[in-house]
Amino acid sequence: MSIRISDKILTGVEKPSRYIGNEWNSVHKNLNDVEIRFAFAFPDVYEVGMSHLGMKILYHLLNERKDTFCERVFAPWVDMEAKMRENNIPLFALESHDPVKEFDFVGFTLQYEMSYTNIVNMLDLAGIPLISSLRGETDPFVCAGGPCAYNPEPLADFFDFFIMGEGEEVINDVMEVYLKWKTQENLSRDEFLSSISFIDGVYVPSLYDVTYKNDGTIDSITPKDNYPKTIKKRIIKDLDKVFFPEKIIVPFTGIVHDRIMLELFRGCVRGCRFCQAGFIYRPVRERSAERLLELAGKLEDSTGYEEISLASLSTSDYSSLKALTEGLISEMEPRKVNLALPSLRIDSFSLDLMEKAQKVRKSGLTFAPEAGSQRLRDVINKGVTEDDLLKSVTTAFNGGWSGVKLYFMLGLPTETFEDIEGIAELGRKVADAYYQVPRENRGKGLNITISASSFVPKPFTPFQWEGQDSMEVLTQKQMHLKNIIKSKQIKYNWHDPELSFLEAIFARGDRRLGKVLIKAFGKGCRFDSWGEHFKFDSWMEAFSECDLDPHFYANRKREYDEVFPWDHIDVGVSKEFLRKENEKAYREELTSNCRVSCSGCGAAAYGGGICVE
Amino acid sequence: MLNNIRVMFSRGNDVKYISHLDMMKLFERAFRRSRIPIAYSQGFNPHPQLVFGLPLSVGVTSEAEYADFELDSEIKPEEFMSVLNRYLPEGIKIIKAAQRKTKANIMASIAAARYKVSLVARPVIEIKEIKDSFSKLLERENLFVNKESKRKVIKVDIRPMIYSLEFLEESVEVGDQETLFCLSMLLSAGSVSNLKPELVLNAYNDFSGRNIEIIKIHRTGLFVCNGDRLADPLEDNSFLAL
Repeated sequence: MSIRISDKILTGVEKPSRYIGNEWNSVHKNLNDVEIRFAFAFPDVYEVGMSHLGMKILYHLLNERKDTFCERVFAPWVDMEAKMRENNIPLFALESHDPVKEFDFVGFTLQYEMSYTNIVNMLDLAGIPLISSLRGETDPFVCAGGPCAYNPEPLADFFDFFIMGEGEEVINDVMEVYLKWKTQENLSRDEFLSSISFIDGVYVPSLYDVTYKNDGTIDSITPKDNYPKTIKKRIIKDLDKVFFPEKIIVPFTGIVHDRIMLELFRGCVRGCRFCQAGFIYRPVRERSAERLLELAGKLEDSTGYEEISLASLSTSDYSSLKALTEGLISEMEPRKVNLALPSLRIDSFSLDLMEKAQKVRKSGLTFAPEAGSQRLRDVINKGVTEDDLLKSVTTAFNGGWSGVKLYFMLGLPTETFEDIEGIAELGRKVADAYYQVPRENRGKGLNITISASSFVPKPFTPFQWEGQDSMEVLTQKQMHLKNIIKSKQIKYNWHDPELSFLEAIFARGDRRLGKVLIKAFGKGCRFDSWGEHFKFDSWMEAFSECDLDPHFYANRKREYDEVFPWDHIDVGVSKEFLRKENEKAYREELTSNCRVSCSGCGAAAYGGGICVE
Repeated sequence: MLNNIRVMFSRGNDVKYISHLDMMKLFERAFRRSRIPIAYSQGFNPHPQLVFGLPLSVGVTSEAEYADFELDSEIKPEEFMSVLNRYLPEGIKIIKAAQRKTKANIMASIAAARYKVSLVARPVIEIKEIKDSFSKLLERENLFVNKESKRKVIKVDIRPMIYSLEFLEESVEVGDQETLFCLSMLLSAGSVSNLKPELVLNAYNDFSGRNIEIIKIHRTGLFVCNGDRLADPLEDNSFLAL
């Protein structure tokens, strides 16, 4: 039954458009014509969730099926949540306004660890039992995918199944099995879960037993009966052939990324050792410039958007960037559509491109050296030298730019105070480079921003064995850096180490964290990534009430032979390779990028993309 | 060859929470989808030549919004209307379109707006009593209310901005606990002096000591000034002497 939200409620909340739906290109279907109702849930507010490319793809992909109606669900903002609870309004889907509890599937996307309490909250608002084993025959199947699903264990209690890897094919495989299951009478939920567990890329956590050693580390993860020992990530081999929506929803109100997003490629050739995305999305696979231009034209026809942006992990590495951007500019300029460029490696080509494409003031360019010294940049395999950076900023200053943002991480493995001093030093050298550019060439008013985040060790990276610096050490490092940046032209920003600490816990957490999540949710934790709602003390209480030590997860350095909670998940990159990369990091040795030479990570087994070019 | 078109359009219930700026963006995108060649301004940051009569407050529906569009080429108004309607989201619909006859753009010309305001009185009040108290309100020469501007609250006399208040007989519903009724308000509007229905009600509540609440506001008309009379922005007839 469709839920009607009264005007009285809607006028009493911020941005009521978040809860209305019916936007241009949203999909509506007659419920009598469909067999499967799928609620695609994003555990954050509308403006954030609507900006997510993966959701746009899967929403339209599922709706291509005649038998399936996929709708959207977002986390209601705290004001709306309060009104929903007060008026007994359950979580509803945006298209039909039907309660999510009536659906066949609720599928969450896991983009960042700090959205986990929102998942618990949304299940609770929906009236769906939080714990998978407590769900009955009338409840939906609750599933998840996305980058955080590669270590699904902290969420193992809540989800009936996970999807590992790119969802375009595997989600259809699951729908087919579901249709068969649904038409046969008297089949239990477990029978459905059992049968999909044999689909490549599907992980049903309840079919696996985890045992622990006395020291708290994992002893073993074993499948029950004959279920698969490892779950292999799925990928799409050919991005030119896979579905990409030609229509996307145009919201009524501004969202974070309010534009057409063209996905140039998946994966990254670079292999920076701290970066999870650089490993889990391997191998690199590109979409052709022809296909992208075709998509751009169709998407512009269907949306009327005023801007198109390029999405990928490292756009400068796209091999047809010149052909693509020239094509886009010549096609889109007459239609009064802007090309929004992501941060590019700065050279004469990219500066020229920015000049042509962007109608913005020459204010800020972004660079991410990540570490302050060459030694530490070699440790993390960030193939950038000081010389590269200074050449780039000099080119940019000569082209009239005057603002530079520099991104760094504090707490990287092997970091010393000398490395940190290197950050301040680099800032000073960038300032010097500005003053060496003739006055008539450079823009007025130099401003440099140095931003330092805290390093969070992630699964499936060469640093998955590392301990995170304690919050005290991170704060000390931040303050040290603050004190040694003397120049008035340099602005310094840093991140809250408490949030990074919590992120580190959940990134490498195990099944025991499920109860902490429930406790934290009970203490009112939600929207943790929104500074104003982050309740660090409540989280620490939750840990102590569950008798779990958060430092065990975040700060402990692991032995090479430790069994990780995610060891039964296969992302294509071998643990052996990651271990070698870890050893090379300590020897300050670089690994070449995939385009230069193959380093044998294991992803070639997929037989796709750069590995077979 | 420029082509000026003036339209009247409606905004329904599901799209009533769109802000004025988002509404402009919505039209801009609809134009791009439709490929109707809206003219763009010159300069560094070109923007489409569209002008709306009077911003519609968030939460208010309307059957009579107006906008002027400048096009780069000749299109018949009927064709313009049928094409653009295909690219507008549900709830927003062009009802009339015509060549713009005046030089003045719509935003500069708006002088008055008519609203249908649905109200509720709790507990129940006799209709006669409500009518009497509204007539008494209008008998006053001045009606000072607090009007909030960006930084301060100022006292404004709104009496001259109220052209008429009509009680809509057919709208009355007397229940056990409440009386529902509607008023049609013709109020001064536009860039010179603009009065919102909420302020009229605040004045009434202050004056009568009652606490009548607004349930819904629906705009039924926008009018331009034609000499000393109000006129429909798309017709030549004027109907009300000021």
